[in-house]
Amino acid sequence: MEERPYRSASGAPIALRCRQHSASCRELVVRCPRLQLRSLSAVTSAVWLAAYALFVLSENSMVLSAAIFITLIGLIIYLHFVKIDQESLLVIGSLGIQVTSSYASGKESTTFIEMGQVKDVVINEAIHMQKVVYYLCILLQDPGDPQGVSEVVPLFQSSKPRLDCLIEVYKSCQEILEQRKTALQSS
Amino acid sequence: ENSPAPLPERAIYGFALFLGSWFGFMLYLIWAYVPETWLFSLGLTYWPQKYWAVALPAYLLVAIGIGYILLFGINMMSTAPLNSTHTITDNYAKKQQQKKFQEEAIPALRDIPISEVNRMFFLPEK
Repeated sequence: MEERPYRSASGAPIALRCRQHSASCRELVVRCPRLQLRSLSAVTSAVWLAAYALFVLSENSMVLSAAIFITLIGLIIYLHFVKIDQESLLVIGSLGIQVTSSYASGKESTTFIEMGQVKDVVINEAIHMQKVVYYLCILLQDPGDPQGVSEVVPLFQSSKPRLDCLIEVYKSCQEILEQRKTALQSS
Repeated sequence: ENSPAPLPERAIYGFALFLGSWFGFMLYLIWAYVPETWLFSLGLTYWPQKYWAVALPAYLLVAIGIGYILLFGINMMSTAPLNSTHTITDNYAKKQQQKKFQEEAIPALRDIPISEVNRMFFLPEK
């Protein structure tokens, strides 16, 4: 249950924690790096210095109060809608897969996919903005075609772990998904 | 039959194009530089405004510059997003026929499903 350090695609340090709740239930949590004080102070000082320069040019003190307001509102919006603290994947063998994203403000957004819809969990590589990225994704079963894939659900889109972390998560998921196949064959 | 080697017909086409492009260039220079009054005195009155002699090259150069950016943008727009099935398969792979497995022969070429590829790469063989 210990946390292992890995790196995200951009080089930021992330941590993976794998908890086994039971034989067919596993939770994998990827923790993103916290908001850095140096980037926060860099953005704040840039905005406030620009506002002060505007104030010196225009002699209008509303610019200064507007800059403070914008910085506060911008920080709140960023923490609540953009900055993700951790992303977790809960695989329950007979039930389904639950994907949770926790934001820095405490908000949690959850998606549950039941096991009947899940075809497989794979590591896919695709082109994204002049880069080739590896990402973990859930393949959803096409109800009409047993071999077909109806939808692709990418996971860990904010923490963007590198291939070594993805392989660990993939192996954990495959152990649980294989139990589903042996259960199907025996029944 | 279809080779890129030089032929007499190709030499004639090339020379005709060469003469035509020189003529076009001289015509453009005359239209752009010769004053309107001289052209009117020769009876040539129905020519486009000289404004276009400067405007058309300017339009062309700006269009070429925008074309670079446009091509880049079109490429980025047609790249499949990460949540689309086009990153995994396409129509040809869905409709491929499975050839029968023959003993002692190399297996036929086919598009291997991504689950199988993942198992081969990332799950160690025991």
